[in-house]
Amino acid sequence: MNIDFFFNPKSIAIIGASPAPGKLSNVIIESLKRIGFPGKIYPVNPKYQFIDDLKCYSSCTDIKDDIDLAVIAVPASIVPEALKDARGKVKGAIIVSGGFKESGVDGRGLEDKIKRIVQNNGIRVMGPNCMGIYDTISRVDTFFIPADRIGRPKKGGISILSQSGSFAATIMDEMAAEGIGVARVVSFGNRVDVGESDCLDFLADDEETKVVALYLESVDDGLRFVEAASRCIKKKPVVAVKVGKREAGVYAARSHTGAMTGRYEIYRAAFRKAGIVEVEGYEGLRDACRALNIYRPARGKRVLIVTDGGGMGASLADSCEELGLEVAGLSEDLKRLLSSDLPSYCTVGNPIDLTGSVTDDWYVTALTEGLKDGFDMAIATVLWGPPQLTEGLINKLSAVIKGQDKPVIICTPGGEFAKRMNRAFEEKGIPVFTTPESAARAAAVLANARGK
Amino acid sequence: MVIASMIKLEAQQLIKEATSAGRKALLEPEAKALLSAWRIDVPKSALLKTEDDLRVALKKVSPPYVLKVISPDILHKSDIGGVVTGLNNQEEIEKAFKEIKKKISEKSARARIDGFLLEEMAPKGVEVIIGGLRDDQFGSAVMFGIGGIAVELMKDVSYRLAPLDKEEAMSMMKELKSYPLLTGYRGSSPVDLGKLGEAIVKVSEIIAELEGIKEMEINPLIVYKDGVMAVDARVVLTGGIS
Repeated sequence: MNIDFFFNPKSIAIIGASPAPGKLSNVIIESLKRIGFPGKIYPVNPKYQFIDDLKCYSSCTDIKDDIDLAVIAVPASIVPEALKDARGKVKGAIIVSGGFKESGVDGRGLEDKIKRIVQNNGIRVMGPNCMGIYDTISRVDTFFIPADRIGRPKKGGISILSQSGSFAATIMDEMAAEGIGVARVVSFGNRVDVGESDCLDFLADDEETKVVALYLESVDDGLRFVEAASRCIKKKPVVAVKVGKREAGVYAARSHTGAMTGRYEIYRAAFRKAGIVEVEGYEGLRDACRALNIYRPARGKRVLIVTDGGGMGASLADSCEELGLEVAGLSEDLKRLLSSDLPSYCTVGNPIDLTGSVTDDWYVTALTEGLKDGFDMAIATVLWGPPQLTEGLINKLSAVIKGQDKPVIICTPGGEFAKRMNRAFEEKGIPVFTTPESAARAAAVLANARGK
Repeated sequence: MVIASMIKLEAQQLIKEATSAGRKALLEPEAKALLSAWRIDVPKSALLKTEDDLRVALKKVSPPYVLKVISPDILHKSDIGGVVTGLNNQEEIEKAFKEIKKKISEKSARARIDGFLLEEMAPKGVEVIIGGLRDDQFGSAVMFGIGGIAVELMKDVSYRLAPLDKEEAMSMMKELKSYPLLTGYRGSSPVDLGKLGEAIVKVSEIIAELEGIKEMEINPLIVYKDGVMAVDARVVLTGGIS
């Protein structure tokens, strides 16, 4: 069923709007103004005539126009009333209020109640207990956290679907700090109605979304999820982190198979069926987003490693192989070519070790020639110790990265100087991975991602 | 296609009868008949309803033999001494009858005994497990593992949603740390990966098509240089789970 109006609303009602700074309904109004929501904002609260410069309505029914989206920010016990009031007037509602399933028996009863209301109310509902939507395309922001606490990323191609609000908000904050852009971020919370599969259906056809990142504790309807994700992956990569891995199976355990199998094993099988790239934890999802933000998925698993430090290159090769990547040898032709272009003390193998005598141009030569040799991607370990390296390397490597379609991942661990160089890369939109392990994980995501 | 749907109908009938008889699982001969219908090889066997059937049975199957109790109340037969292996003649089989009955009367006195299954003992090979299960959310899935210790201690198993194709079945094998056990390890010869892959595909089809099955497993399936043999099988029924 179509839920486009969540991502393209012409009007938004804030139910339970408050003039008090810091109240979450007030933060949402401020956020909508700050992001420049181009449609109409209707505060709703019988207590007030105006909220700042906006006319406040005592009920949804007092608003003349139809409303695409209502953000419900009233105490949990009043949410059923608010939903009934919105009936016939509102297409979609985001219930940001908490106090439902997540908070004990009473909350669970209340959630069941709103589920029943939703079933025959004609309103599609996101939440409760969620942050809602941060959308750089339609310029909607219902994340009720002040922007000076949690930064908002610029416009970009990554869309994030998250059951957890804090997970979504934190990853947004890091992306904002690093200059990585997003299209749509959805925190759908307790999922009484709209969930991951509805959103995947929308994102599959969304031209603005180039990559989908998922944070899942569970899915609502397994087979529908596999179907929606499979369809999405035909058009763009989908990466996911699944938490709650130790959850026991629900099988009869009357066979070894049943006794051994937990829920997570079946999730993995489902991810595989759909073509979703599974990543590990928060860091895994963040790094996958960083990589997929600029690189297209690689054609295969063959990785070329270029380093100026033997040990870091060796460590990277280990990490790559552990993740199923192939650190394949160089062809005889390439060896011959590099041996004539580089000094004899460089190690012409995989890794290619440019040693502490490295210059900016050696990196360019090794990477450019290497990538012509049947490799699907490269990782450049850039350690800034060698004195002949200059800051000019940043421009030269950027040109290499942007000049061809195979991913070249930059891996630079280190202290103050290295961090400064990393920021310079990031200002050019190129992520730097600060450990061999995270660089290898990023490479594995690119190798495994589909939807090219 | 016609044959396939007939096999499916017969299997559904078998499951229906077992369920309406209040059984939680298929008996071993039934489970094996199901596998045979899907063309997974099982050992040559004879059903002994009474001990008098033995003389005729001995003409049909050849030694060495395995004798297994058939009981709707016992799912894990060997745990309670319901299986005797390495039998060579009538005398040894008759002794085994007594042994099994004695063990059952000691350990599971209320278990009904429907009869015995006399099987040709399968030669040694690489033992694997192929499991199938039905998940409330994702439908049916298959599990694959090699050998006892790698599976039970190391949990070295792989999963896929069912049904799957042969390529996915091969990838289930290759995903395991214990995969070299299939391709020849310490001088052992490589096994029939093609037939093994087919067996995984067939189990995935059985679990995907027969909704009356909640869990199933072939444990072990013995894999040889040529061919495979389902030595023991369990089929737990959906209707039998409360």
